[in-house]
Amino acid sequence: MPSATVNNHRPRELLSLLASADPEIKVRALREVKNQIIGNRTKKLSFLKIGAVPAVSGILADSVDNVIDSNCNNDNINNILVQSAAALGSFACGFDAGVHAVVDAGAFPNLFRLLGSSNEKVVDAGARALRMIYQSKLAPKYDFLQQKNMEFLISLLNSNNENVNGLGASIITHSCETSLEQKALFDAGILRKLNGLLEGGSLSQRDASLESLATIFKNNPEIISKFSGPEIGRPLSSVIDLAKDRYPRTRLLACMCLIVIRNTSPLFLQDIGIKTKLIHILLELLDDSGQVGDEAPFAFSSLIAQKEDLQELALEANAIDKLLHHLQKGSLHPRRYEGILLALADMCSKMESCRSKFLSLQVLNLVTDALTDDSADVRTAACICLKSVTRSIKNLSAGYFMDEVIVIPLVRLFLDPSTSVQVAALGAVSNIVVDFTTRKSIFVQCGGMKQLVQLAKSMESAVRSNALWALKNFVFLSDNRLKESVFSELTACLLASLICDPEPSVQEQALALVRNLIDGCINSIEFAFAEDGLILAAIGRQLQSASKAEIGIQGMYALCNVASGNEFHKEAVMHQLFPLMDDKNQSFMMKFLQSNDSQLRAATVWAILNLTCPLSPGASGRLEKLRNAGIFSQMKNMVNDPCVDVKLRVRTVLGQSMAFGNN
Amino acid sequence: MPVRVAEISAPSQVSGTISRHTSPPACTLLSVGQAFSGTQNVSSIQKEEAWRVNVRIQGCDLEHGYLCGTMEALNVPMADTPVVTFWEGEIVDTKNYTFFTGKWDASPEDDKRHWTKFPSFLPLLSQVEIDGGKSLDLSNCPYIFMRWKEQYFVNVGTDCGLTIAGFYYVCFSCSDGSINGFYYDPNSSPFQKLELKSTNEGRSGFSFSSYELQ
Repeated sequence: MPSATVNNHRPRELLSLLASADPEIKVRALREVKNQIIGNRTKKLSFLKIGAVPAVSGILADSVDNVIDSNCNNDNINNILVQSAAALGSFACGFDAGVHAVVDAGAFPNLFRLLGSSNEKVVDAGARALRMIYQSKLAPKYDFLQQKNMEFLISLLNSNNENVNGLGASIITHSCETSLEQKALFDAGILRKLNGLLEGGSLSQRDASLESLATIFKNNPEIISKFSGPEIGRPLSSVIDLAKDRYPRTRLLACMCLIVIRNTSPLFLQDIGIKTKLIHILLELLDDSGQVGDEAPFAFSSLIAQKEDLQELALEANAIDKLLHHLQKGSLHPRRYEGILLALADMCSKMESCRSKFLSLQVLNLVTDALTDDSADVRTAACICLKSVTRSIKNLSAGYFMDEVIVIPLVRLFLDPSTSVQVAALGAVSNIVVDFTTRKSIFVQCGGMKQLVQLAKSMESAVRSNALWALKNFVFLSDNRLKESVFSELTACLLASLICDPEPSVQEQALALVRNLIDGCINSIEFAFAEDGLILAAIGRQLQSASKAEIGIQGMYALCNVASGNEFHKEAVMHQLFPLMDDKNQSFMMKFLQSNDSQLRAATVWAILNLTCPLSPGASGRLEKLRNAGIFSQMKNMVNDPCVDVKLRVRTVLGQSMAFGNN
Repeated sequence: MPVRVAEISAPSQVSGTISRHTSPPACTLLSVGQAFSGTQNVSSIQKEEAWRVNVRIQGCDLEHGYLCGTMEALNVPMADTPVVTFWEGEIVDTKNYTFFTGKWDASPEDDKRHWTKFPSFLPLLSQVEIDGGKSLDLSNCPYIFMRWKEQYFVNVGTDCGLTIAGFYYVCFSCSDGSINGFYYDPNSSPFQKLELKSTNEGRSGFSFSSYELQ
């Protein structure tokens, strides 16, 4: 243990001691730097600011040539190498700015050179330092595809030194990304070596091996099937056994490896027993008070996300109760808080039974509390959790979520400095405003509607399109008074420009919003005609150049809705469909009718149906025009459309047209 | 991470949530926001009576065979105002639900007795008798069969003198949006008929709005 007198120097003093010519003073200074910065982020930062890393790196560089000299038994040199490596490792440990500084200072290659020393302590120090750097995403990428690099990696894994072969595994975990790299590692026999560490290694080697294996398996079903094949023994069962190991970190890493295997190759690990086991192990790991417990909910999420069968099993295992129980503890580490909220979000993402369970526990406040947390990641996770829970149509219908306690903190997040928080809050609000009761005014009263309109003008396209999404849902089936207030806040001019926004997703949401505005009582159609028909003209313009089917669908439904009005409205739609008197150009309608997208075909046929509705005085004139444009010939080709909905509408239109005589 | 769920009124879901190929087709007329109006015949031996009924679809999740909405009954003698209930529907899609109810005091015999009152059901009867219709391919069927169960009263108390203990066997026509149904409740008059048509709410044509859940 360092004595009490050692850590007394201030950073600047230590910096000048590091520059001393006396090796013993240098070593003591290095040791003191290391002792001061270990586990102390603030200290790391202050040393960083005064250039400590280049200084230590320089010391390492000056002494590293001696590593090659195998007769070097100079204790001082070895101590300098060990302490400088240890100090650099500490700077990098869990501190990205430190990693950055170490790499920038050129220390990285020199640390690798330490591995060639005949002195075990020097090798250890180098390997440990490099392992700490490789924990960070900022570590330089290792190029496995170069032959000599692969050979070097193999030599690391072959080493008897635990830190050195652990370094080999860390490099794989950090740098293996593409399937090409995965294959190269497989071809070089790396899996066999890792499996050896898995079965015969120490705790640290097993853990490192589990992480590396997961990296090599990820999204690569071919390698997984080779690993699980007969040639390499029965390694899959080794991993399964390790999921029951007595060390929590090993259990977690083994679970994560199995989850990667399962998500990549759904044929494996299908047994309901193993699925249930994984769920139980991960839920139990939540009890760990350290980093393992912080990471466990993320592993749980990756197991159940998008998979109803697993969510169902987890529901039976009381996952929701357990997650909420941990949430209730309070004072959670931000990473754990975020993880639990996201795990709950995944549990409630698809199944009403899960959402019902969650809501029945009456602890929504635990989630709304997180909306005001200091961490942006936690606030985002809370919004995502609310977004999942508010998919409950039953409860939306009952107006359960349109409550100030939920709405007000969410609306506050519209002004959050983090864009991802804003977008996540908009997501939750988009669902909540689908409210069928008369309580929508709560949202207006708390300023939410006005805020949404402001956000529709944001520089960020994701914010614009999500704000419009929320507004679209808000005006769905709303009374005219509410629609008027939204429209006067938005203005026809802004809405028209959003319809023609550079971003397709914004165009789509703006058109869908218009579609909803003009549905309902017949007076609502007038919104499309405000300011000399700005909006109607924008719709027509956008449909000419619709870049994706969804834009066509929303735009055509908007026109369809206008065309369900009176003669004036129907003629106005015709003008958008056929802008020029002598229209030689193929109308976009023809293109839409021939689209592969059945919804687009359906929307277009509905518009035609409305335009040729026999009870309208001008229907025959419109029919004639559509016929001349070849629309009816096209529709005759669609009487047996593969989509039943389209087929039925086409037949209705053609049947309707019979009322006008021969066609 | 959770991803976006699309609950749109137009047929078929966003790719990735398309129902299996034997399920009934999605239909624009049976989608969120759509409204229907007509009557429910509540005649008993004592007297002839019919209530005007308005229905609105509020939720639709084809992947899970789920539908929900409100039903508004007008000119109900015991009530001062129209009575509104919230109902949830099961779509007979051979995947989530079959023609056999399996609950709500309805036996397979009760099921058959009711379904056969719909002419459009008759071609399906023989298969239903074998396996409840599990192996039927309904993907080209222009009718959608459902059960609607009222869950609670929205605007009146449970002491209003009305019951929502039973449920409706429902047949929806995709071509014109008409709905026929029979109310089943062992404690009420049998075969009370529900007849609804798709409404245009004063418009000269059809109008569609939608919402999308995130």
